[in-house]
Amino acid sequence: MLSRVADSLYWMSRYVERAEHTARIMAVKLESMIEQQPEDARASWARVVEALQDAHWDDLPHDAPTITKRLVFDRENESSLLASLGFARDNARQVREALSNEVWGNLNRLYLHLSGVQGDAIWVHSPALLFRDVLDEMQALEGVTYSTLSHGEGWYFLELGKYIERVQLLGRLLDVHFRQGGVTPKYFDWLVLLKFCTAFEPYTKLYTASIRPQKIAEFLLFDPEFPHSIRFSIDRVTEALARVAPGAPPARRAAVERLAGRLKASVDFGQIDELMSGGIAVFLSDLTRQCEKIHEALFASYITYGAETVL
Amino acid sequence: MQGEVLANTEDFGGPDPVTGPARAALAGKDAPYARYDLARAYDEMFAPDGRPRSPYIALDSRLTSLAMEELVRRQHACEQSFLHQGITFTVYNDNQATERIIPTDLLPRIVTAGEWERIERGLTQRITALNLFLRDIYGDGRVLKDGIVPREMIYGSKHYRREMRGLPVPHGSYVNICGSDLVRNEAGDFVVLEDNLRVPSGVSYMLANRDVARRAFPGVFRSMNVRPIEHYPLELLATLRALAPFEQDVSIAILTPGVFNSAYFEHAFLARQMGVELVEGRDLLVNDNVVYTRTTSGLKRIDVIYRRIDDDFVDPLIFREDSSLGVSGLFNAYRAGNVVIANALGTGVADDKAIYAYVPRLIRYYLSEEPILDNVETFLCREEKSLKHVLANLDKLVVKAVGESGGYGMLVGPHASQAERDVFAEKLKSDPENYIAQPTIQLSTAPTFVGDGVEARHVDLRPFILTGNETKIVPGALTRVALKRGSLVVNSSQGGGSKDTWVLSR
Repeated sequence: MLSRVADSLYWMSRYVERAEHTARIMAVKLESMIEQQPEDARASWARVVEALQDAHWDDLPHDAPTITKRLVFDRENESSLLASLGFARDNARQVREALSNEVWGNLNRLYLHLSGVQGDAIWVHSPALLFRDVLDEMQALEGVTYSTLSHGEGWYFLELGKYIERVQLLGRLLDVHFRQGGVTPKYFDWLVLLKFCTAFEPYTKLYTASIRPQKIAEFLLFDPEFPHSIRFSIDRVTEALARVAPGAPPARRAAVERLAGRLKASVDFGQIDELMSGGIAVFLSDLTRQCEKIHEALFASYITYGAETVL
Repeated sequence: MQGEVLANTEDFGGPDPVTGPARAALAGKDAPYARYDLARAYDEMFAPDGRPRSPYIALDSRLTSLAMEELVRRQHACEQSFLHQGITFTVYNDNQATERIIPTDLLPRIVTAGEWERIERGLTQRITALNLFLRDIYGDGRVLKDGIVPREMIYGSKHYRREMRGLPVPHGSYVNICGSDLVRNEAGDFVVLEDNLRVPSGVSYMLANRDVARRAFPGVFRSMNVRPIEHYPLELLATLRALAPFEQDVSIAILTPGVFNSAYFEHAFLARQMGVELVEGRDLLVNDNVVYTRTTSGLKRIDVIYRRIDDDFVDPLIFREDSSLGVSGLFNAYRAGNVVIANALGTGVADDKAIYAYVPRLIRYYLSEEPILDNVETFLCREEKSLKHVLANLDKLVVKAVGESGGYGMLVGPHASQAERDVFAEKLKSDPENYIAQPTIQLSTAPTFVGDGVEARHVDLRPFILTGNETKIVPGALTRVALKRGSLVVNSSQGGGSKDTWVLSR
């Protein structure tokens, strides 16, 4: 596979994952907000903004429409939902020949749909509806990605992008909820956190409906079977790494796989009780750093390597 | 070949073979044709008396029975489909990028088996002569020594590539992919308006339009025995394969300028349909005169490159050094015979508008045959007598700059103001060699769906000619449409659209 194609597939997938994450959080947030007291809602919005934005906002707006506008429709904001979808689409267009008509068509339609929405108009009825629609379309996109592309090297680059991004996004979401200091989340906030991760029902199946922060952390960090847990995502990353660049020289492969093995070990042997006594932020930032290293090694080994090293 | 029967009668026998039931007058009569203008031009669908020509009878009866709202709905569905598929080009205005679709008309243009047979033979003859001509001017230069073509026209052309002299190309085929523009004149004859021998585009629209028209008129399509065109990518692949010096495991790539090029959709489309790599200059590198692409597993050798970038940009070491689209060292790899580039470099020298005037002579010279397809009458302003004639008749002629394409650098005399004509006259006097002139041809008109009715619009015809070790023409073409009422300019960069072309089988 062309290195440039791998590059674009990887980034397309990262941006799609980021867009879906944003859409889901917005849907849940807008649905739950009516049940919160103003000060709780404000603390909750602050967490959402911090979890979704790369840049810090000094001026957190007071009203949901303004926040939504910036998180979703603001093209100047590079982390907005619309910007993420735009970047995903730009990357997809770069590798149009490596995608099926269905994958490109779904992504393109979704982008055209959202970019045609007037941001202010969604407040007339239930604003969350737009995001539920977007999520439906994103799930259709995920479906055709799975069912119309060969599960070869390109598909595994999509997997890598998706799950490396997911680890980072989940890491930030967990960090803003579990870190020491600041406003302590309340019962309702923990419920919402599970819903942000589509995890409420899977969680209750394992732990019953008793909502306890430690159990939530354990589930979202270490559950091996739930797709929106960090451990599950890291397993997919290690699997995918074994399937890309089959013909690359062993030394190059080893450089990436060694890092992935280390990351996997961090979650395979992680203990929740050790983390709950204050170490969770350190643990999460270590995971994020490891993901960044894997990303760099992936590019150095397979995508941006110097041609002189192989001639 | 004036007067030869281009008859629509060849497929449809019967007592009244040329036309269907009489239609007293088109204008003001039948709902869909209320604004249909049967002007001076040859109309593809209607005979001068207003009756539909026989190949169009089925379409006519469908159109008159179909509610126009239904046609509007189908047109809208088609536009949505193009938009969703990303069959768009980007227009940049005030830093705002807008994506537009190239307008497609639902109504097919029909070419009879007899007409097509002549077009096919004529274009094959023409490309054969043009390839011989290119081989000659980059070789012995016999045609120049014999005084058929003036030397300075070749050596003075900005598209002549000295670097190509004495370089053999596979099967002597310089032009592997050609898109020739034909028009039908007032007499109903197809004539050649232009040969595009460099990087012609539009073939993906030919294929996309087929999907559209077949979906819009499934019944008519089925009843007409339309020849298929879907194998074009296969034929293109076979043509490119035939250029490689060996048969097994030929590694082929399409070289695109990238996603910002207006034909990017086509490049990606062809790569997918053929199952070959789509590469940009930055994906390729040359080492020891061998071309490689950078893959995740290492470097992979490339044998044949179908390049969709102009000569100037292919290799910054040899041609334009500011080009970032091409690949350093590519030309040396080509010269060393380690990679084939299609089309060959330097083919543009044979498709400029001055050489065009010589093509009939080239056919006679190389093939000892009479041209099957005529040229449009062309005045070379470099010849004093012609220049005088052109200056005296600017209001009747189309003047074109020799090296330009895409409708740029052009004066349409009858539609220009006196001031515009005066400006052009000065240009002609100061640089006559750079211009040719042709009579304004009333391109034929074809039924086109406009708003809520069917109107006549001028069209041309661009078939695609493939030449590897032999010449093949898929029976179809891009019919370009000048969407503005009365306009004769069909180029998509100047507001043209396109429609499907149905070539009928015998």
